[in-house]
Amino acid sequence: MLFFSFFKTLVDQEVTVELKNDIELKGTLKSVDQFLNLKLDNISCSNEAKYPHLSSVRNIFIRGSTVRYVYVDKNMVDTNLLQDAARREAMSAKK
Amino acid sequence: MSFFGFDPTKPDSGRGSGRRQRDKKAEKPLDFEETYQGFGEHDQEEDDYLNDETFGNATELGTDFDFGYGKGSLESDVAPKSYADHGRSYASAAVAGPPSGQTGYGAAAVQGLDDGLDFKPMESLWTNQPMSMPMPQQFQQPQLPQHPQHPQQVLSMEQLERQQRQQQQQMGIPAQQQGFVGMPPQQDMKPMGYGYSPQGYMPQIHQMQGGGFPNQPQSFPPQAVPPQNMGTHQYQPMPLMFNRQMEPHQHPQQQVASPPSNQQQHLPVQQQLPQQSIPIGLSPQAQELGPQQQQQQSQQGSNFPVQMDSTRNSASPRSQALSPPHTPRDSNSRNGRRGSMRRQQEPLTEEEHKRLQIRQAKVDKILRHSGVMTPRDKDFITRYQLSQIVTDDPYNEDFYFQVYKIIQRGGVVGESNKGLIARAYLEHSGHRLGGRYKRADVALQRMQSQVEKAVTVAKERPQKNKENFDGAKEGVLGKISSTMNSKAPRRQLQIPTQKSEDDESNAAAIDEVVESLNGVELSSASKARRRSSYAFRTMDQSAVLCRSGGRKFVLSLIESVYSEVLELEAQLRSGKSIDNKALWDALHVADDSYEVSPFISILSFDKGVKIMPRILNFLDKAQKLRLLTLFFSELSHLNIIVTSSYKTNPHPTDVQLKKIELFQSVFLKIIVSFLSSSAEFLEVISLLLALIKDNNVSFISTSKIGLNLITVLISRAALIKQDINRGTVLSSSEISTWNEIYDKLFTALETRLALVFPPEEYTNRVVAISSSPSLLSANGEQTAKNHYYDHSYIWQFFASLALSGKLNHQRVIIDEIRDEIFGTISKAEELAKSTTVDEQVALYQRDKMYQDLNLFLNVMGLVARDGEITELK
Repeated sequence: MLFFSFFKTLVDQEVTVELKNDIELKGTLKSVDQFLNLKLDNISCSNEAKYPHLSSVRNIFIRGSTVRYVYVDKNMVDTNLLQDAARREAMSAKK
Repeated sequence: MSFFGFDPTKPDSGRGSGRRQRDKKAEKPLDFEETYQGFGEHDQEEDDYLNDETFGNATELGTDFDFGYGKGSLESDVAPKSYADHGRSYASAAVAGPPSGQTGYGAAAVQGLDDGLDFKPMESLWTNQPMSMPMPQQFQQPQLPQHPQHPQQVLSMEQLERQQRQQQQQMGIPAQQQGFVGMPPQQDMKPMGYGYSPQGYMPQIHQMQGGGFPNQPQSFPPQAVPPQNMGTHQYQPMPLMFNRQMEPHQHPQQQVASPPSNQQQHLPVQQQLPQQSIPIGLSPQAQELGPQQQQQQSQQGSNFPVQMDSTRNSASPRSQALSPPHTPRDSNSRNGRRGSMRRQQEPLTEEEHKRLQIRQAKVDKILRHSGVMTPRDKDFITRYQLSQIVTDDPYNEDFYFQVYKIIQRGGVVGESNKGLIARAYLEHSGHRLGGRYKRADVALQRMQSQVEKAVTVAKERPQKNKENFDGAKEGVLGKISSTMNSKAPRRQLQIPTQKSEDDESNAAAIDEVVESLNGVELSSASKARRRSSYAFRTMDQSAVLCRSGGRKFVLSLIESVYSEVLELEAQLRSGKSIDNKALWDALHVADDSYEVSPFISILSFDKGVKIMPRILNFLDKAQKLRLLTLFFSELSHLNIIVTSSYKTNPHPTDVQLKKIELFQSVFLKIIVSFLSSSAEFLEVISLLLALIKDNNVSFISTSKIGLNLITVLISRAALIKQDINRGTVLSSSEISTWNEIYDKLFTALETRLALVFPPEEYTNRVVAISSSPSLLSANGEQTAKNHYYDHSYIWQFFASLALSGKLNHQRVIIDEIRDEIFGTISKAEELAKSTTVDEQVALYQRDKMYQDLNLFLNVMGLVARDGEITELK
């Protein structure tokens, strides 16, 4: 649940999602579920020339398994808290 | 009996051309032989209900099935019929099975055909309430008990009841008969069986309309019929239905008997169509028959309806009387409804029309797939989706999100987790506005209860897994792997778990190797502790680490400390009482089995430093004091001291400087706050004693951190002493102890006081590194002039040292650091004169230098100003 929990805090923030097919989409994260499927709003594609079909798309639902990276602004992440959360996760996994 | 205030006893007045037409029809009997294609002549399998529909036999390859509110209907302006069926589903239709008593439909159909056509537009079409179509009303009304989910009624319940009462009185029908929709009271045809099995009517009519039934016997395509007016549109599909709705196998006798008459009946209909837009004539049947016919329509269109015969033969005269109750056509019935409806018959302007169409299109879009699932289905799905997400222990399983939100809100605990989830789900499902009734609060409550239920499901889940019981519902929405799911994702690294014994022996072995390699002189191989560390000045951290159990051991120690702290914090949140014994043990403060205390080694790592404030939250005062005593007595082993001393580390790196910064901001703060808030005089002295006794003070004083620590101790002691001088008197033994310790400290520092000042080379380097992100960049020297090495900590040290010292101590200090004092003054003056740098910066630097210097000089009643030292007035 750590990643789900983490991504929930990014809702309504602007993120860049790189897909496994190299498409990079920037948009506002609207929703995330336990499969880490993402819903983006107001998307823009970083390489519009290559993927012109995305220029007319405003919001998009991305299947979680197709995501390679999610780029996040540094100050959206509380790294110390994230460390704690990761430790908790590890602790509960051990139990 | 009728609904909507229709009085069937009155002669119908509103039928113009329709009646004429009917008359015409009546004159010319239908010849079924001409149209019948023999579709009903083979036996149908029993109970192959919706078979063809299911397997697509009746459709062309590539047809897009639309199980929602069909597209076809969207195209054809409006088809409110479907509204009646939102609550229905395939499933319910299938469960209900083929309806019985269908003769009635045939009869009704014939009646409908026979009946005069009314070309007045359907009122319902023109309302602004798309859901409130006459048909739904007609169907719904008797079925209300079975269809509570159909709230749209144009008429209020009271109105309806009143009408019914009136009709009952008029006709003297027993009340229970009202359950049969459109059943005319005079009806004496038993087989007509209007006792609808109400279950199965579905909106598939639109599919048909879309043209998915190539083998329909119809000669006219439904769409091609030019609508006479808007009102007739909705009934265009009806003829189709009508043709196919009857199932031969259900009425075998009639089949045999009736085909000819059926076809006869049919012909005129088709003939009429071109000129008259027949559908309206059929509509009443369609309406009435709806539930069953629509089920049947999905069967092969080839079964030509046979049941019509009965009416054909017997009911023609009666049909007039029969039909009105079922249909909204009759003016009476319309009048009855009109009262509660908006004016409908008035012609609409172009604009209104357009608006209506747009509105209708919107509604259609919304309703397109509505009714595919019942609310129960939706609840079920929602609960299962939620059960994967929710948890009854959010601080454990959803830790990051929960705490992050609290931090973001500034420590205010906001809405409950479940409330948030409910809200989020509502927003995604588009029901946040509360649907038709705009009851957002109700919707939220409902969703919250769903979440509540989901939590229950989530609670049950682990138990299921434990028992290895594959619950029937497990994985209903796709496979949920027990080894790999959102709670336990696949791991990229599979780390074999070793037994702890192996671990320890390995660590010990490594330590031995490290020790021998480094050639660290150990008094003995035994674990006798040798904590005083005059001789120890190596930069080699691993040597220190190995003497406190090894790097691996220390790292695992930090992790166990973390988990203890997290555990304690969880206890704190849940309001439980706190037991810090495990934490205290994990810190190994009292553990003498290592040469260097593991606690000191914990502080070698950043994460060990960072956790310190949280550790101290859970320690009582005695424990804190114990911890700090240990800290001061083993200060020389502290990695950060070694790093921050210019002697052992003349070339600090960027990373090291950051580490120093971190230590200063985190740990020094703790010590200061502890000393100033709760430490007694003697405790401060004991800490200082621990520092002096076991460490090379001179070495510690060459490091920034060390000097800061000493400063903190002696200045705090001096402050307490002054405070006590004002209030309670310090016992003489305490004062003498203090003097003694101060003397010791001073002796340790004497003759080495000048060494406190780092050499210029070192300060330049530090300045260069800290002022430029890239190490020793080309312009490092330039920036060095803007940013300079902050000597204030050194002057603070001398100030506090001089403050507690006697005159002779002060004299010694001044003697030793005289060069530095004058050096600082001359540097400051130089800066003021220099023209190469920005004047303001220079002035600021000069002031700062004097300020720092005066910290020290003021203690002795002196002040440095404008290049001179004068007496402080």
